[in-house]
Amino acid sequence: MGQTLVYGILNGALYGIIALGIALVFGVMRYLNLAHGSFIILGAYGSLFLFHLGIDPFASIPVLSIVLFVAGAILFKTSFSRLTTFSEGNKIKNSLLLSFGLMLLIENLATLIWTGDERSITPPYSGLTFGIFDLRIPFIGLAGGILALVLISFLHLFLTRTYFGKSIMAVSQDHEAASLMGINVNRTFLISFAISLTLASIPSVLIGLKAFSPTGGIQWFNKGIIVVMLSGIGNIYGVLPAGLFLGIIEAISVFIFGAPYREVTGLALFVLIMILYPTGLFGIRIES
Amino acid sequence: MRLKIIFCVLLIILFLTLFPLMVKSEYLLNLLIMFFLYVTIAQSWNLLGGVTGQISLGHSAFFGMGALITRLFWVEKVPILAALMGGGVSSMLLAGIVGIPCLRMRLAYFPIGTLALAIIAQIAVGNIFPLPGSLPSEYIVAYSISSRYYLALLVALLTISLVYGMTRSRTGLALVAIRDDEGAAEAMGVKTFKYKVLALLVSSLLAGLGGGIYAYHQVSYYYYTPFELSWSFLPTLTTFIGGLGTMVGPIVGSMCFLALSEIFAISLGEIHILIFGFTFILIVLFFPGGLMSITQRFHPFSLMRSKKKGVS
Repeated sequence: MGQTLVYGILNGALYGIIALGIALVFGVMRYLNLAHGSFIILGAYGSLFLFHLGIDPFASIPVLSIVLFVAGAILFKTSFSRLTTFSEGNKIKNSLLLSFGLMLLIENLATLIWTGDERSITPPYSGLTFGIFDLRIPFIGLAGGILALVLISFLHLFLTRTYFGKSIMAVSQDHEAASLMGINVNRTFLISFAISLTLASIPSVLIGLKAFSPTGGIQWFNKGIIVVMLSGIGNIYGVLPAGLFLGIIEAISVFIFGAPYREVTGLALFVLIMILYPTGLFGIRIES
Repeated sequence: MRLKIIFCVLLIILFLTLFPLMVKSEYLLNLLIMFFLYVTIAQSWNLLGGVTGQISLGHSAFFGMGALITRLFWVEKVPILAALMGGGVSSMLLAGIVGIPCLRMRLAYFPIGTLALAIIAQIAVGNIFPLPGSLPSEYIVAYSISSRYYLALLVALLTISLVYGMTRSRTGLALVAIRDDEGAAEAMGVKTFKYKVLALLVSSLLAGLGGGIYAYHQVSYYYYTPFELSWSFLPTLTTFIGGLGTMVGPIVGSMCFLALSEIFAISLGEIHILIFGFTFILIVLFFPGGLMSITQRFHPFSLMRSKKKGVS
């Protein structure tokens, strides 16, 4: 049981990082990026490619970050920027559809290039664990947890201490008022979209070290969106606790119902929350 | 003009009815059965997603439910028409139990909620029925492609006429009003939730019938195959590309999809979905009315120009 919980917590940290990227885009500009999971998978392939060149997966994070940042900026400029003037409901719906098409595109391109086989990155330390009391803790999972904490702290410092981070917060609260205060809203949108994809680099390495296939993106998106719902829309600080919560719930459900229903638990939780609290758990209200 | 259209439609129906008598090619008949299946599921999706504006990514759950129940009934020696009805109704029940709560979700969570349900259904069915469902040998001996053909044609025609009838009625006006502005519709006295439920139930019934056709047509398949998410994505893609909320759109979209998938059938990696995904993105960005609206938009005297931005 204790061992199950350990894995639950470590998985939960991963869910937290995935959700961070989705939450940022959703909080700031009300875009629902269904393709976030697919970008994580793309990142995992990138990391695998670099690994074959002899670069350690964790060392490939900065490279992936830069590539994903540029990709995000280009993507926003070419497609997502067209939706910024829509009403809030239409923004969510159109961005969802747009990213849905993007997801199909990425999945099938990846299948075409790398075939549908499941792959994983296998550095020499991939299976190593260490023991505390009688629990085994995998190094990679622990590294994921630490990275999640570091990432959240950095994001917090960025959003509250830097001028640009503050402008992102302002835009997420009220983009019209923010633009009246002299904030370049479009640039803020662009940068936060690019940052959201940059945040996909860490989960892509962590998932790359597990196992991934081209069609796995939607599954990771689901984890992310469940966590976003749990923590409440627009609430970036709730993301890590909510991720841990989901990880633990999943671990307990695996303990009770068995591994095949692992995915079901989180999704059922999501549907239940959406029915009982249609505006999200602690989230801000969205006008229709 | 109106008479001409009716005449054309009757001619097409007559042609399709006589088709198996003239052509014996099993390949062509199978292709047409798939076409009817695609039209059925796309048109049923269109009623919910295109006309009412409730975009569902969980149609595979309804489709799969129809296929599952029809197959189970049919293998137990229930006549196929009764089994098909059972499949449709059970799919409607599923929508009633789990889909209606999803409609209570705020605007954009409906697609995600239905997607979640579809994944839950797929995993659950895959765990409960891990083995492929084969037909008993006497069924395989008696297998005739033309009976599948006519049943598929019947269901497709039923779907098209039902959706057509609904959109041309008072109900249809209410549904379109919900799509265009739910708040305003509510203010005008339209019982929006009631109509959304109605659209969901009819749509799931039709999708379930489509699933029944799948179960009747396929000799052997894993029970979870019709629950696969591609059955949710297919109607979304075809309807969008053909034209959201139009009668001809889903038919044109299905035709394009089938043609492309046949052309690229030999190559690995589903290039047709790649092309369709790219077209889909372009359509969402630039032509929210679908392929059918492109001709309209560039028509200099067209009064039906859409000033609205985006998919509402």
